Amino acid sequence: MKVAVIGLDCAAPELIFNKLKADLPNITRIAADGIHGKLRSCDPPITVPAWMVMSTGRSPGELGLYGFRSRIPNSYNGIKIPSSNDIKFDTVWDILGKRNKKSIIIAVPPSYPPKPVPGILVTDFLTPDRDKEFTYPPGLKNEILRDFPDYQFDVKFRKPEKKKIIDEIFRMTDVRFQMAEKFLREKEWDFFFMVEIGIDRIHHSFWRYIDETSHLYEDDAEMRGKFISYFKMVDSHVGKILDLLDEDTVVLIVSDHGAKGMKGAFAINQWLIREGYLKLNDGKVKQGSSLEELDVDWAHSKAWAWGGYYARVFLNIKGREPQGIIEKENVRTELDKLKEKIKSIRGPNGEFWNTRVFEPEEAFTTVNGDRSDLFVYLDDLSWRAAGTLGYSTDYLLENDTGPDDAVHDYDGIYILYRKDKKIGKVIDSDIYRIAPTILRLFKVRKMYGIQGKPLEGIEYVE
Amino acid sequence: MASDKKYTTVSLPTPLFEKIQDKIKGTGFTSVSDYVTYVLREILAHSNNEDAFNEEDEKKVKERLRSLGYLD
Repeated sequence: MKVAVIGLDCAAPELIFNKLKADLPNITRIAADGIHGKLRSCDPPITVPAWMVMSTGRSPGELGLYGFRSRIPNSYNGIKIPSSNDIKFDTVWDILGKRNKKSIIIAVPPSYPPKPVPGILVTDFLTPDRDKEFTYPPGLKNEILRDFPDYQFDVKFRKPEKKKIIDEIFRMTDVRFQMAEKFLREKEWDFFFMVEIGIDRIHHSFWRYIDETSHLYEDDAEMRGKFISYFKMVDSHVGKILDLLDEDTVVLIVSDHGAKGMKGAFAINQWLIREGYLKLNDGKVKQGSSLEELDVDWAHSKAWAWGGYYARVFLNIKGREPQGIIEKENVRTELDKLKEKIKSIRGPNGEFWNTRVFEPEEAFTTVNGDRSDLFVYLDDLSWRAAGTLGYSTDYLLENDTGPDDAVHDYDGIYILYRKDKKIGKVIDSDIYRIAPTILRLFKVRKMYGIQGKPLEGIEYVE
Repeated sequence: MASDKKYTTVSLPTPLFEKIQDKIKGTGFTSVSDYVTYVLREILAHSNNEDAFNEEDEKKVKERLRSLGYLD
């Protein structure tokens, strides 16, 4: 038995299983023949930690990974980008390696710097650049740069040339799949796992051309055509990969979270200032300033926040933060009060927002690493949070710093398929089932403390 | 303990040992142990055991993440 996992970062159920169905013959066929459904992501539904939840079967709390940055413990502005060194649990390929199985691992975040694996590994989009060691074994890098001189980890978003980036994303994805197909043909392997980040980049940057319900919708036939061509290219590569696999290989197509149209960004630190939680010494604040650029009066501030696709709110606690002011015994009361205030935030026209606010302990039984005191999903993730300040309003309909078309949604996708097996079932599932599924397919009985269960219906492909 | 001794023993599958023996015939390597030690040192020299990102790397990655809307 072999297992091949094709990870499509951000692939959304509505798009893949419905809207683009007719454009994706290979994916549509295996979804119909196998088992498919929505795959509920973890909390927070963000690329880092979601792929590691799939790879290790552990929660973000156990992993101590809550997003693309971790706070340097107890600091106000110190942040750290997660790396493979931060993953303290065995991945499925580590566990399989101990059983003499060889793996091909491509771009699963975070996997930089490359760790040894029986097989080969190419690091993810958090790799600084191609001058770095980005493969295991090290010599594989030369092979990649020789055969795929255009190989790219990620694209850099540049607003003025936005439309051109779609072609750049197309090339990046096309090349990564070509490389994956070459490895599948030439390398020895039992387990294959690749992640393609391009789908996420396409969604965030170009969702407005495909979603008529978005307030940013643009009826632009050329851009819509390019959006669809991108997905057709991905589908044709899925077809090529399927052609390389035999009937003893189980295929999983998965995504780490979904996508939906972004309604706007909410300047949460401005709101905290107005509510009396945060105080600045600066007079006039330049539009788009970040807290680290400003002179915060920490001795009179109770809380501050980080933006992103969800907001993280930190309390300024005495004995924990350098100039903490909230006494330990008051933390509970302050948290409860702030939670209620955040939940009562309304939209730009006074409309109700379905905002979710929770403490990490409410989501995870184990909470490792430096985490924020509150996790905030503004209007159920439809509004992203801007940590920057200096705007004339808290409600930003266009985003200054990044692509602004789509936000993350809870449900990604999965397809479980094996050649020659006609199953034809639709079962919604969740991300914690992926690692146990892979281990079960390889008949690994020892679960190393992984709690999840395999996907329902796994017996049909065994 | 292994660390008290200057050298210690690791096991190699015999066919691999023989392959290496053939490969180093007529080269500057005088024994399979010499060759294996050399190759492993080369591989370890490439692996980064310190911080994953130096200051410049971190700046590059942060800038990219910011441009993508993740750090805001």
